[in-house]
Amino acid sequence: MSVIKCEKLTKSYGENKALHELSLTVEENKITGLIGRNGAGKTTLLKIIAGYLRKSSGNIEVFSEQPFNNLKVSSNMIFVDDQMNFPTALHLKELLYVAKDFYPNWDMDLAERLFDYFSFHPNERHHRLSKGMKSTFNMIVGLASRCPLTIFDEPTTGMDASVRKDFYRALLKDYIAFPRTIILSSHLLNEMEDILEDILLIRKGEKYLHMPISDVKAYAFGIRGESSAIKEWSSDKEILHQKQIGDGSSYIVVTNTSYKLAKSAKLEQFTISPVAAEDVCIYLTRNEKGDIDHVFNRG
Amino acid sequence: MYLTEVNTLQIIRKQYQFKLKAYVGAFTSLLVMQVTAILFSLGGTGGMSSSDGYLYISGTQYNGSIVIAFTMLWAFISSILITTKAYRNDDFTFVTNRFTSHVSNIYFLLAASIFGGITAMLSGYLLKLIAYLFYNYDAILVTEHAISSILVGATSTIFYILLFSALGYVIGVLVQLSKLFIILIPAFVIGNLFLQAGERVSPLVDFNKVVHFYISESSILLFMVKVSVTILVLFSLSIFITNRMEVK
Repeated sequence: MSVIKCEKLTKSYGENKALHELSLTVEENKITGLIGRNGAGKTTLLKIIAGYLRKSSGNIEVFSEQPFNNLKVSSNMIFVDDQMNFPTALHLKELLYVAKDFYPNWDMDLAERLFDYFSFHPNERHHRLSKGMKSTFNMIVGLASRCPLTIFDEPTTGMDASVRKDFYRALLKDYIAFPRTIILSSHLLNEMEDILEDILLIRKGEKYLHMPISDVKAYAFGIRGESSAIKEWSSDKEILHQKQIGDGSSYIVVTNTSYKLAKSAKLEQFTISPVAAEDVCIYLTRNEKGDIDHVFNRG
Repeated sequence: MYLTEVNTLQIIRKQYQFKLKAYVGAFTSLLVMQVTAILFSLGGTGGMSSSDGYLYISGTQYNGSIVIAFTMLWAFISSILITTKAYRNDDFTFVTNRFTSHVSNIYFLLAASIFGGITAMLSGYLLKLIAYLFYNYDAILVTEHAISSILVGATSTIFYILLFSALGYVIGVLVQLSKLFIILIPAFVIGNLFLQAGERVSPLVDFNKVVHFYISESSILLFMVKVSVTILVLFSLSIFITNRMEVK
């Protein structure tokens, strides 16, 4: 069963299209990583799925229903981001009890154990917490609510490295015990790639890639060797990225398909290395204007 | 993981219970408003004096009228406050849609208005008690009310407070729809007051007539009908105009 189904989903703000004819399907009980550059439309997509924003055109179904203003979707979904609002009048502990009241699958035991582990004080108030502590508290609410659709939009904002690690581990453990559909959006792909099953890469409001993480890891190869030889070898290949290295050699990244095609050729003279999923995503979503070096190369 | 089936009434009830806890600040401000109003009332809420050259009589009246007026103002402001983004987004952190969010707000305002109305009514008695205990009057006349007239008084107080609350709510919702209303609404009210004060041009809305429509009603039942219909229209309008609004 698919939990989310979009067909030609478009969201525009005036002339500007935040999402452009996006079609995708997210299957039940999978952890999907939503990856994209700043402004690619990640948050807009997630907020439409959550029913906060209205689509401009196309079609979207969550649990086979239109999500906007939908009570069923709201009851079965939690949206966690760093701007999560909680009433200022209530203490942290009271907030957990409020959440328990709203979410039928809420696990108070888990919430309290995480609460103690991250040393929250029951009488603290959410708006007085530091940025990282806020994110940590939001994460506890997101995990303990055990919603069939759990959306984390950049959940690790402000968290320190060890809390981030704890978060991913807690998420994975709880997911294994209670499988559910989880969407994680983040810039830090390399630290969460171990827990993801699928990657959804969007670029300028359009879907660019949606595949299992293992396929992304094998999507491209890095090849390094003497510049002229590299140039000759790669003339008919799809190059994702290239870089000059000081000693007259070059490093290029080619897609797996072009690599396979050329396997027979004289590859022995080159050094071949795998490319991390994060780098693949960076190469695939890079600017057409070239990289940051171009800004500084005026000559 | 199984899907939860939803029951709109149940969600509204949960939201309402949540708001009674989360909006406790509204009750604190009610307390502050009413204490302030009581202080203002200590000098008497009305009075008379007369003299024929030999005999001089002066009287001071104590009742809850200033407290009731302050409570109306409180209801108006609190209603605007709970339509603001921060409060609205609190709802959307948990389970809601726009309809349940509004309906639970309305229930909350109803409860708050009843509470505010009753305390405002009672403060009139508190003032009389203060006058009795701390002031040296030669004579004290207490108007005794039959239970039925106390009930009529309390009911109409509550309905007036609710009326201001509904008015505040719809204004708050309009401002959420477009910030232009922050300018438009006061401009309309003040401009209309000027037109009303002058005599050449007739005002767009005759405020006197509007006020007269409610306060001149001598039958409590008809008054309740008039106010209820107004409140119902104002709240329905609020729900209707924001049902398609995007949040967060």
